[in-house]
Amino acid sequence: MNGFHDWVYMALAVAGLTVVTFATRSSFFMLPQSVQLPASWERALKYAPVCALTAIVAPTVFTRDHEPFISWDNHQMWALLAASAVFAKWRNMTAMICVGMAVFTALRWWA
Amino acid sequence: MKRARAHLFAYCPRSDFEEGVRSMAPLSLAIGVWGLVTGVAMVNAGMTMPGALAVTLFVYAGSAQLATLPLLAAGAPLPVVWATALLVNLRFVIFSAASRNYFVKLPWQQRLVAGYLNGDLGFALFSRRFADDPERGTPEQYGYFYGGAVTNWAAWQVSSYLGIIIGGLFPSEWGFELAASLALVAVLIPMANKFPAVAGIVVTGILSVLTADMPMKLGLLVSVVVGGAVAMSIDVWRSRA
Repeated sequence: MNGFHDWVYMALAVAGLTVVTFATRSSFFMLPQSVQLPASWERALKYAPVCALTAIVAPTVFTRDHEPFISWDNHQMWALLAASAVFAKWRNMTAMICVGMAVFTALRWWA
Repeated sequence: MKRARAHLFAYCPRSDFEEGVRSMAPLSLAIGVWGLVTGVAMVNAGMTMPGALAVTLFVYAGSAQLATLPLLAAGAPLPVVWATALLVNLRFVIFSAASRNYFVKLPWQQRLVAGYLNGDLGFALFSRRFADDPERGTPEQYGYFYGGAVTNWAAWQVSSYLGIIIGGLFPSEWGFELAASLALVAVLIPMANKFPAVAGIVVTGILSVLTADMPMKLGLLVSVVVGGAVAMSIDVWRSRA
Protein backbone atom coordinates (compact mmCIF):
# COMPACT_ATOMS: atom_id res chain seq x y z
CA MET A 1 0.00 0.00 0.00
CA ASN A 2 1.29 3.46 -0.91
CA GLY A 3 -0.24 6.57 0.64
CA PHE A 4 0.94 9.08 -1.94
CA HIS A 5 -1.76 8.48 -4.53
CA ASP A 6 -4.67 8.48 -2.11
CA TRP A 7 -5.34 12.22 -2.18
CA VAL A 8 -7.61 12.24 0.89
CA TYR A 9 -4.87 10.52 2.90
CA MET A 10 -2.23 12.94 1.60
CA ALA A 11 -4.40 16.03 2.17
CA LEU A 12 -5.11 14.98 5.76
CA ALA A 13 -1.43 14.10 6.30
CA VAL A 14 -0.22 17.50 5.04
CA ALA A 15 -2.91 19.37 7.01
CA GLY A 16 -1.88 17.57 10.21
CA LEU A 17 1.83 18.09 9.56
CA THR A 18 1.20 21.83 8.99
CA VAL A 19 -0.59 21.99 12.33
CA VAL A 20 2.40 20.23 13.94
CA THR A 21 4.84 22.78 12.46
CA PHE A 22 2.87 25.75 13.80
CA ALA A 23 2.01 24.07 17.11
CA THR A 24 5.68 23.45 17.89
CA ARG A 25 7.45 26.46 16.34
CA SER A 26 4.92 29.07 17.47
CA SER A 27 3.93 27.29 20.70
CA PHE A 28 5.33 29.65 23.32
CA PHE A 29 4.88 32.71 21.10
CA MET A 30 1.12 32.14 21.28
CA LEU A 31 0.68 30.96 24.89
CA PRO A 32 -0.01 33.53 27.62
CA GLN A 33 3.13 34.62 29.46
CA SER A 34 1.91 33.03 32.67
CA VAL A 35 2.58 29.65 31.06
CA GLN A 36 6.24 28.71 31.57
CA LEU A 37 8.17 25.65 30.44
CA PRO A 38 8.80 23.42 33.51
CA ALA A 39 12.41 22.25 33.83
CA SER A 40 11.37 18.59 33.90
CA TRP A 41 9.54 19.02 30.58
CA GLU A 42 12.60 20.53 29.02
CA ARG A 43 14.36 17.17 29.49
CA ALA A 44 11.60 15.28 27.72
CA LEU A 45 11.51 17.84 24.90
CA LYS A 46 15.29 17.60 24.55
CA TYR A 47 15.54 13.82 24.21
CA ALA A 48 12.37 13.06 22.22
CA PRO A 49 13.70 14.49 18.91
CA VAL A 50 17.04 12.65 19.30
CA CYS A 51 15.25 9.34 19.82
CA ALA A 52 12.64 9.97 17.11
CA LEU A 53 15.30 10.71 14.47
CA THR A 54 17.19 7.56 15.52
CA ALA A 55 14.05 5.43 15.32
CA ILE A 56 13.49 6.63 11.74
CA VAL A 57 17.04 6.29 10.44
CA ALA A 58 18.12 3.03 12.14
CA PRO A 59 15.49 0.74 10.54
CA THR A 60 15.97 2.27 7.07
CA VAL A 61 19.70 1.46 7.20
CA PHE A 62 20.03 -1.56 9.49
CA THR A 63 17.05 -3.68 8.37
CA ARG A 64 15.96 -5.42 5.17
CA ASP A 65 12.37 -6.70 4.78
CA HIS A 66 11.76 -5.75 8.44
CA GLU A 67 14.57 -8.06 9.63
CA PRO A 68 17.88 -6.90 11.17
CA PHE A 69 20.51 -6.71 8.42
CA ILE A 70 24.02 -6.27 9.86
CA SER A 71 26.37 -7.67 7.24
CA TRP A 72 29.28 -6.97 4.90
CA ASP A 73 26.65 -6.80 2.14
CA ASN A 74 24.80 -3.90 3.76
CA HIS A 75 26.19 -1.09 1.59
CA GLN A 76 23.98 1.56 3.20
CA MET A 77 25.44 0.69 6.61
CA TRP A 78 29.06 1.23 5.50
CA ALA A 79 28.11 4.43 3.68
CA LEU A 80 26.39 5.71 6.82
CA LEU A 81 29.37 4.88 9.04
CA ALA A 82 31.84 6.60 6.67
CA ALA A 83 29.59 9.64 6.31
CA SER A 84 29.08 9.91 10.08
CA ALA A 85 32.84 9.87 10.62
CA VAL A 86 33.22 12.68 8.06
CA PHE A 87 30.51 14.74 9.73
CA ALA A 88 31.86 14.16 13.25
CA LYS A 89 35.26 15.44 12.10
CA TRP A 90 34.34 18.39 9.84
CA ARG A 91 30.72 19.24 10.76
CA ASN A 92 29.87 19.71 7.11
CA MET A 93 26.60 18.23 5.86
CA THR A 94 27.42 18.69 2.18
CA ALA A 95 30.72 16.79 2.50
CA MET A 96 28.96 14.15 4.55
CA ILE A 97 26.25 13.48 1.97
CA CYS A 98 28.80 13.43 -0.86
CA VAL A 99 31.10 10.95 0.91
CA GLY A 100 28.19 8.74 1.98
CA MET A 101 26.72 8.57 -1.52
CA ALA A 102 30.20 8.00 -3.04
CA VAL A 103 30.87 5.07 -0.70
CA PHE A 104 27.42 3.64 -1.39
CA THR A 105 27.81 3.95 -5.16
CA ALA A 106 31.33 2.47 -5.09
CA LEU A 107 30.12 -0.55 -3.08
CA ARG A 108 27.09 -0.96 -5.35
CA TRP A 109 29.31 -1.13 -8.42
CA TRP A 110 32.29 -3.12 -7.16
CA ALA A 111 31.42 -5.03 -3.98
CA MET B 1 -13.40 54.25 6.75
CA LYS B 2 -10.11 52.49 6.32
CA ARG B 3 -9.80 49.21 8.13
CA ALA B 4 -6.56 48.62 10.06
CA ARG B 5 -4.66 45.96 8.17
CA ALA B 6 -2.92 43.25 10.15
CA HIS B 7 0.60 42.99 8.81
CA LEU B 8 2.22 39.59 8.91
CA PHE B 9 5.65 41.06 9.60
CA ALA B 10 6.67 43.46 12.36
CA TYR B 11 8.22 46.77 11.29
CA CYS B 12 12.01 46.66 11.03
CA PRO B 13 14.80 48.82 9.58
CA ARG B 14 16.23 47.73 6.26
CA SER B 15 19.87 47.79 7.44
CA ASP B 16 19.18 45.22 10.16
CA PHE B 17 17.29 43.01 7.74
CA GLU B 18 20.33 43.11 5.47
CA GLU B 19 22.63 42.20 8.35
CA GLY B 20 20.48 39.12 8.96
CA VAL B 21 20.63 38.21 5.27
CA ARG B 22 24.44 38.52 5.29
CA SER B 23 24.79 36.26 8.35
CA MET B 24 22.58 33.53 6.84
CA ALA B 25 23.93 33.76 3.27
CA PRO B 26 27.05 31.59 3.82
CA LEU B 27 24.80 28.82 5.16
CA SER B 28 22.62 28.88 2.05
CA LEU B 29 24.75 26.28 0.29
CA ALA B 30 24.20 23.73 3.09
CA ILE B 31 20.48 24.62 3.23
CA GLY B 32 20.34 24.24 -0.55
CA VAL B 33 21.90 20.76 -0.52
CA TRP B 34 19.55 19.64 2.27
CA GLY B 35 16.54 21.08 0.39
CA LEU B 36 17.61 19.49 -2.89
CA VAL B 37 18.05 16.09 -1.21
CA THR B 38 14.64 16.44 0.46
CA GLY B 39 12.94 17.41 -2.81
CA VAL B 40 14.51 14.52 -4.72
CA ALA B 41 13.78 12.08 -1.87
CA MET B 42 10.09 13.02 -1.75
CA VAL B 43 9.59 12.53 -5.50
CA ASN B 44 11.76 9.40 -5.57
CA ALA B 45 9.71 7.84 -2.76
CA GLY B 46 6.66 8.24 -5.02
CA MET B 47 5.09 11.48 -3.80
CA THR B 48 3.17 13.37 -6.48
CA MET B 49 4.45 16.78 -7.51
CA PRO B 50 1.52 18.77 -6.01
CA GLY B 51 1.89 16.78 -2.78
CA ALA B 52 5.62 17.44 -2.57
CA LEU B 53 5.14 21.17 -3.31
CA ALA B 54 2.42 21.45 -0.64
CA VAL B 55 4.61 19.70 1.94
CA THR B 56 7.55 22.01 1.16
CA LEU B 57 5.48 25.17 1.49
CA PHE B 58 3.19 24.33 4.41
CA VAL B 59 5.18 21.89 6.53
CA TYR B 60 8.56 23.62 6.03
CA ALA B 61 10.46 21.33 8.41
CA GLY B 62 13.14 19.26 6.68
CA SER B 63 13.75 16.72 9.42
CA ALA B 64 10.00 16.10 9.96
CA GLN B 65 9.43 15.87 6.19
CA LEU B 66 12.17 13.26 5.75
CA ALA B 67 11.19 11.38 8.91
CA THR B 68 7.57 10.99 7.82
CA LEU B 69 8.45 10.12 4.21
CA PRO B 70 8.90 6.34 4.69
CA LEU B 71 5.74 6.30 6.82
CA LEU B 72 3.66 8.03 4.14
CA ALA B 73 5.14 5.74 1.49
CA ALA B 74 4.02 2.72 3.51
CA GLY B 75 0.57 4.24 4.08
CA ALA B 76 1.12 4.21 7.86
CA PRO B 77 -1.86 5.30 10.03
CA LEU B 78 -2.07 9.11 10.13
CA PRO B 79 -1.79 9.36 13.94
CA VAL B 80 1.59 7.57 13.68
CA VAL B 81 2.68 10.01 10.92
CA TRP B 82 1.63 13.05 12.95
CA ALA B 83 3.11 11.73 16.21
CA THR B 84 6.45 11.11 14.49
CA ALA B 85 6.57 14.67 13.13
CA LEU B 86 5.59 16.00 16.55
CA LEU B 87 8.39 14.08 18.28
CA VAL B 88 11.00 15.24 15.76
CA ASN B 89 9.76 18.84 16.04
CA LEU B 90 9.62 19.00 19.84
CA ARG B 91 13.00 20.75 19.82
CA PHE B 92 11.21 23.78 18.35
CA VAL B 93 9.10 24.05 21.51
CA ILE B 94 12.34 24.68 23.43
CA PHE B 95 13.40 27.27 20.80
CA SER B 96 10.09 29.11 21.06
CA ALA B 97 10.21 29.11 24.87
CA ALA B 98 13.79 30.42 24.75
CA SER B 99 13.08 33.27 22.30
CA ARG B 100 9.50 34.21 23.30
CA ASN B 101 10.53 37.38 25.20
CA TYR B 102 11.65 38.96 21.93
CA PHE B 103 8.26 38.43 20.30
CA VAL B 104 5.55 38.73 23.01
CA LYS B 105 4.75 42.37 22.26
CA LEU B 106 3.72 41.63 18.66
CA PRO B 107 0.14 41.02 17.42
CA TRP B 108 -0.77 37.35 17.17
CA GLN B 109 -0.52 37.14 13.36
CA GLN B 110 3.08 38.35 13.49
CA ARG B 111 3.92 35.93 16.30
CA LEU B 112 2.46 33.04 14.30
CA VAL B 113 4.54 33.93 11.23
CA ALA B 114 7.69 34.50 13.30
CA GLY B 115 7.20 31.05 14.83
CA TYR B 116 6.81 29.40 11.41
CA LEU B 117 10.13 31.01 10.37
CA ASN B 118 11.95 30.11 13.60
CA GLY B 119 13.86 27.02 12.39
CA ASP B 120 17.14 25.53 13.59
CA LEU B 121 19.57 27.92 11.88
CA GLY B 122 17.56 31.11 12.32
CA PHE B 123 17.20 30.38 16.02
CA ALA B 124 20.91 29.57 16.42
CA LEU B 125 22.11 32.78 14.70
CA PHE B 126 19.54 34.99 16.41
CA SER B 127 20.24 33.70 19.94
CA ARG B 128 23.98 34.06 19.41
CA ARG B 129 23.67 37.63 18.10
CA PHE B 130 21.43 39.01 20.87
CA ALA B 131 22.30 36.83 23.88
CA ASP B 132 23.85 39.80 25.75
CA ASP B 133 21.35 42.43 24.61
CA PRO B 134 19.48 43.69 27.71
CA GLU B 135 16.46 44.81 25.67
CA ARG B 136 14.08 42.26 24.17
CA GLY B 137 11.91 42.98 21.14
CA THR B 138 13.53 45.93 19.32
CA PRO B 139 13.02 46.72 15.60
CA GLU B 140 16.75 45.99 15.10
CA GLN B 141 16.27 42.48 16.48
CA TYR B 142 13.22 41.88 14.27
CA GLY B 143 15.19 43.05 11.26
CA TYR B 144 18.06 40.66 11.94
CA PHE B 145 15.63 37.82 12.66
CA TYR B 146 13.58 38.31 9.48
CA GLY B 147 16.68 38.80 7.34
CA GLY B 148 18.15 35.47 8.45
CA ALA B 149 14.87 33.55 8.58
CA VAL B 150 13.59 34.73 5.19
CA THR B 151 16.95 33.91 3.56
CA ASN B 152 16.79 30.43 5.10
CA TRP B 153 13.17 30.05 3.92
CA ALA B 154 13.95 31.18 0.36
CA ALA B 155 17.03 28.93 0.04
CA TRP B 156 14.99 25.98 1.30
CA GLN B 157 11.96 26.59 -0.94
CA VAL B 158 13.95 27.18 -4.14
CA SER B 159 16.26 24.18 -3.65
CA SER B 160 13.35 21.90 -2.68
CA TYR B 161 11.34 22.90 -5.78
CA LEU B 162 14.41 22.23 -7.90
CA GLY B 163 14.79 18.80 -6.27
CA ILE B 164 11.08 18.05 -6.84
CA ILE B 165 11.37 19.00 -10.53
CA ILE B 166 14.55 17.01 -11.26
CA GLY B 167 13.81 14.19 -8.77
CA GLY B 168 12.23 11.99 -11.43
CA LEU B 169 15.51 11.94 -13.39
CA PHE B 170 17.31 9.89 -10.74
CA PRO B 171 16.72 6.12 -10.94
CA SER B 172 15.69 4.67 -7.58
CA GLU B 173 18.70 2.30 -7.46
CA TRP B 174 20.93 5.35 -6.96
CA GLY B 175 19.67 5.16 -3.40
CA PHE B 176 18.47 8.70 -2.78
CA GLU B 177 16.66 7.56 0.34
CA LEU B 178 20.15 7.02 1.77
CA ALA B 179 20.96 10.70 1.14
CA ALA B 180 17.81 11.53 3.11
CA SER B 181 18.95 9.30 6.00
CA LEU B 182 22.40 10.91 5.92
CA ALA B 183 20.86 14.38 6.14
CA LEU B 184 18.88 13.29 9.20
CA VAL B 185 22.05 11.91 10.83
CA ALA B 186 23.68 15.32 10.26
CA VAL B 187 20.87 16.83 12.36
CA LEU B 188 21.21 14.03 14.92
CA ILE B 189 24.98 14.04 15.57
CA PRO B 190 25.22 17.56 17.08
CA MET B 191 22.40 16.58 19.48
CA ALA B 192 24.44 13.60 20.71
CA ASN B 193 26.80 15.77 22.77
CA LYS B 194 25.99 14.34 26.22
CA PHE B 195 25.99 10.83 27.62
CA PRO B 196 22.18 10.60 28.21
CA ALA B 197 21.54 11.47 24.55
CA VAL B 198 24.06 8.87 23.36
CA ALA B 199 22.44 6.24 25.60
CA GLY B 200 19.03 7.21 24.21
CA ILE B 201 20.31 6.85 20.64
CA VAL B 202 21.83 3.40 21.30
CA VAL B 203 18.73 2.02 23.07
CA THR B 204 16.30 3.52 20.54
CA GLY B 205 18.44 2.37 17.60
CA ILE B 206 18.65 -1.25 18.74
CA LEU B 207 14.96 -1.41 19.70
CA SER B 208 13.78 0.19 16.45
CA VAL B 209 15.71 -2.40 14.41
CA LEU B 210 14.38 -5.30 16.51
CA THR B 211 10.78 -4.02 16.38
CA ALA B 212 10.82 -3.17 12.66
CA ASP B 213 8.33 -5.98 11.94
CA MET B 214 5.65 -4.65 14.30
CA PRO B 215 2.41 -3.71 12.49
CA MET B 216 1.48 -0.07 11.73
CA LYS B 217 5.02 1.14 12.47
CA LEU B 218 4.27 0.79 16.18
CA GLY B 219 7.86 -0.29 16.79
CA LEU B 220 8.84 3.30 16.09
CA LEU B 221 6.77 4.72 18.94
CA VAL B 222 7.70 1.88 21.32
CA SER B 223 11.43 2.43 20.76
CA VAL B 224 11.16 6.23 21.11
CA VAL B 225 9.24 5.92 24.38
CA VAL B 226 11.68 3.39 25.88
CA GLY B 227 14.83 5.12 24.54
CA GLY B 228 13.58 8.54 25.66
CA ALA B 229 12.76 7.20 29.13
CA VAL B 230 16.28 5.74 29.41
CA ALA B 231 17.90 9.05 28.38
CA MET B 232 15.74 11.05 30.81
CA SER B 233 16.37 8.63 33.70
CA ILE B 234 20.13 8.86 33.17
CA ASP B 235 19.90 12.66 33.01
CA VAL B 236 17.85 12.83 36.25
CA TRP B 237 20.12 10.33 37.99
CA ARG B 238 23.28 12.19 36.95
CA SER B 239 21.98 15.60 38.03
CA ARG B 240 21.17 14.17 41.49
CA ALA B 241 24.47 12.34 41.95
